[in-house]
Amino acid sequence: MLTLDGCMGEGGGQVLRSSLSLSARTGQAFRIDNIRAGRRKPGLLRQHLTCVRAVAEVCGAEVEGASLGSTRLVFRPGPIRAGTYHFAIGSAGSAHLVLQTLLPVLWAADGESEVVVEGGTHNDWAPPFPFLDRAFAPAVSSMGAVLDLALEAHGFYPAGGGRVRALVAPSRFQPLEWVERGAIAQVRPEAVVSGIPTRIAVDEIRVMASALNVPVSRPRTVEDPMGPGNLCWLDVEFETGSAVFCGFGKKGVSSHRVAKQAVKAFKQWRAVDVPVDEFLADQLLLPLSFAGSGTFRTTEPSLHTRTNAEVIQAFTGQQFRFEDEGTGAFRVTLG
Amino acid sequence: MSDNPVTIVGLLGVNLDRGHGSKRWTKWRPTPSLFQQDDLEVARMVLLYDSDYAAMANAVRRDIRNLSPNTSVELVLVRFDDPWDFEEVYGALHEFAHGTSFTEDEELLVHITTGTHVAQICLFLLVEAGFLPGKLLQTRPPRRDESVGGYSIIDLDLGRYDRIATRFEAERREATGFLKEGIDTKSPAFNSLIDRIERVAAATTAPLLLMGPTGAGKTRLAKRIAALKQQRKQVEGALVVVNCATIRGDGAMSALFGHVRGAFTGAASDRSGLLRQADGGVLFLDEVGELALDEQAMLLRAIEEKTFLPVGSDREVSSDFQLIAGTNRDLREAVAEGRFREDLLARIDLWTFRLPGLAERREDIEPNLDYELEQQSRLHNRRVRLNREARTRFLQFAGSPEATWTANFRDLNAAVTRMATLSDSGRIDTTVVDEEVGRLRDAWRVTQRDVVYEVMGDLADEMDRFDRAQMAEVITVCRASRSLSEAGRMLFAVSRQRKKSSNDADRLRKYLAKWGLSFDEVRLRA
Repeated sequence: MLTLDGCMGEGGGQVLRSSLSLSARTGQAFRIDNIRAGRRKPGLLRQHLTCVRAVAEVCGAEVEGASLGSTRLVFRPGPIRAGTYHFAIGSAGSAHLVLQTLLPVLWAADGESEVVVEGGTHNDWAPPFPFLDRAFAPAVSSMGAVLDLALEAHGFYPAGGGRVRALVAPSRFQPLEWVERGAIAQVRPEAVVSGIPTRIAVDEIRVMASALNVPVSRPRTVEDPMGPGNLCWLDVEFETGSAVFCGFGKKGVSSHRVAKQAVKAFKQWRAVDVPVDEFLADQLLLPLSFAGSGTFRTTEPSLHTRTNAEVIQAFTGQQFRFEDEGTGAFRVTLG
Repeated sequence: MSDNPVTIVGLLGVNLDRGHGSKRWTKWRPTPSLFQQDDLEVARMVLLYDSDYAAMANAVRRDIRNLSPNTSVELVLVRFDDPWDFEEVYGALHEFAHGTSFTEDEELLVHITTGTHVAQICLFLLVEAGFLPGKLLQTRPPRRDESVGGYSIIDLDLGRYDRIATRFEAERREATGFLKEGIDTKSPAFNSLIDRIERVAAATTAPLLLMGPTGAGKTRLAKRIAALKQQRKQVEGALVVVNCATIRGDGAMSALFGHVRGAFTGAASDRSGLLRQADGGVLFLDEVGELALDEQAMLLRAIEEKTFLPVGSDREVSSDFQLIAGTNRDLREAVAEGRFREDLLARIDLWTFRLPGLAERREDIEPNLDYELEQQSRLHNRRVRLNREARTRFLQFAGSPEATWTANFRDLNAAVTRMATLSDSGRIDTTVVDEEVGRLRDAWRVTQRDVVYEVMGDLADEMDRFDRAQMAEVITVCRASRSLSEAGRMLFAVSRQRKKSSNDADRLRKYLAKWGLSFDEVRLRA
């Protein structure tokens, strides 16, 4: 059985989530030890457990060690079944982490699936919905993935209560060749508030717009808000694709600073002249692995990304190359 | 935590759980915060609320469902007119606990952060008493770098906390050390007996029965138990020691239970009696089997009802004491012979401890020798000790089956006292030891004649002196041996060396059988 050390690389939930996706797709059973060893709360937390249970349900896996605080998990996948699924992550954990673990599995199913995940949709340690919808989805769709996402309710930490629905169909992935960015066509400043004054979103949009010298847009307000929350982002369209850069609203942090976060992330990416940003790079490794080959250019790969590559290699033997171009740009290549 | 589904029972915190609009999410609310924990998964929440707060309970339920869609939330109406009234709150919560079923395989956590302090106390009591079969759960507000606050589970099984368990263990060791008078005894049987006594003495006020041959240390142990109980404030009164063998006859009743003036000729004034003196303390009745039947009946009543009638009085007096009884006789036999009341035996036979004789704990002779030397040093105000050679020689003899220690510690104490007295400088040498060994041999030889009576009863009179001498030696050796084989090896040690194979045990068994005896009988009829 394939055995992974939970301490490898970034040593958090990433190793687990990628392993679950790959295991279900390849039919390869695995064991993972030392899950989140050395963390303040070691072992599986609710969000991880929800991922394990979700993938196990979809592929009828046999699982050992699927309990809170467990530092060892054994996962023996069965055949993937298309269908209608509903998962709730609880504790306002990120619904998207669950969704992103499930999507690669459902793309390999024998029919269309519908999956609803309840939980946080705009949390600051996981990709928020605008990123999923406007950066991730278009990128994987261009490779052949069939995916339709709908945000049915906003869920901000810590109140939660968000809901995302995804329609997924079996997909064949085409190799990706995405090295040039081309001209930036449009930069749209966006902001959403939940349960707090709209003025905050207006301020954020104004700060982003004036920093980048682009027109303002209408702020979004969550109707029937469950809890307080705020997110602002720059929706960027360029010649070869799209990207999203976020600023996360937090209690005690001024709207000005939140807006500047998004602007700074955008400028860093723009300065390097690559099409793929740090977060999307991480998300593209699995699709590249499914396609069998491909290449893209990005900013300096994060530890998350490198860990992801290691996990993929462990399951498939595929080896990613990370080439430093010396200008802050990196070329990631498979095959 | 176990994999069993978690159920939380808690009161709606009418102040702490309150919150309006989306602002409520920026405030710490203990009950909803339980569902924001990334390492706690709750299958069922039982939220107790008062009818005045139904709207708020429903709002909290909605928030919980939102935070944790897989948790089922049950609202249970509990009515207290005054949530600060202990009796009322305890009654209502007890009724809830009584009427709610919790399955074996659900892990119950009782949330005590919400509700009045009185409610917290009541929940604690219900958990401690097992009416709510779970653990206590408390929540705390977020620290500076947190947004949801934390929780902790308090397990009331104190044995599970290392530092507390270590402290208890140390206290226990101190207590058992105290019972052993600081003597570092090695006999595992004796040490575990002392452990048991320590635990029982700490936990009960019921009578204790110390059984054991004369001189085994019953009185000494009873005194230490009483002192330990006094130290632990479990008794306040004094220890009263009575040897029942010394108060037989007419005066016994009055000595024990007291009398009033004029109760009988010579009763010139009131006498309170030993039982009355032991009120609030400990009464040690040694040789309890020697009490006459009348006194036994009175004693039984005094134990059961804590009251009795002094001689000549028509007014009952009361005395509440912890009874420790001692005996070197088999009281069951005494019951069979009609000399001891069966109901009294049943009453005092609840916690029975058999003290082994010194011959059965030879590994403890050395530490006890040191203890006796220490006592002598204190008495003579100078250091009393054996030189190395003398010590080796004494211990060699003391540990051999030849040394029967018929009077147990009394023998050892007497031996050390004599040796200390006979040594000029306090240094006991081999000459003194050799003399003492001779004295002990003589003393035990004399008692050997009696051991035949002990084992054979009147049959001994019908034995030839020749047979009796032989039997006396056999009994002595058997009693000092742990098994038939060991006794056989001892008795046939010389002929054994000349033989290729030995069947000493068989020879001994046949010898005993000729007289209708078995090894166990010889040992038990002491």
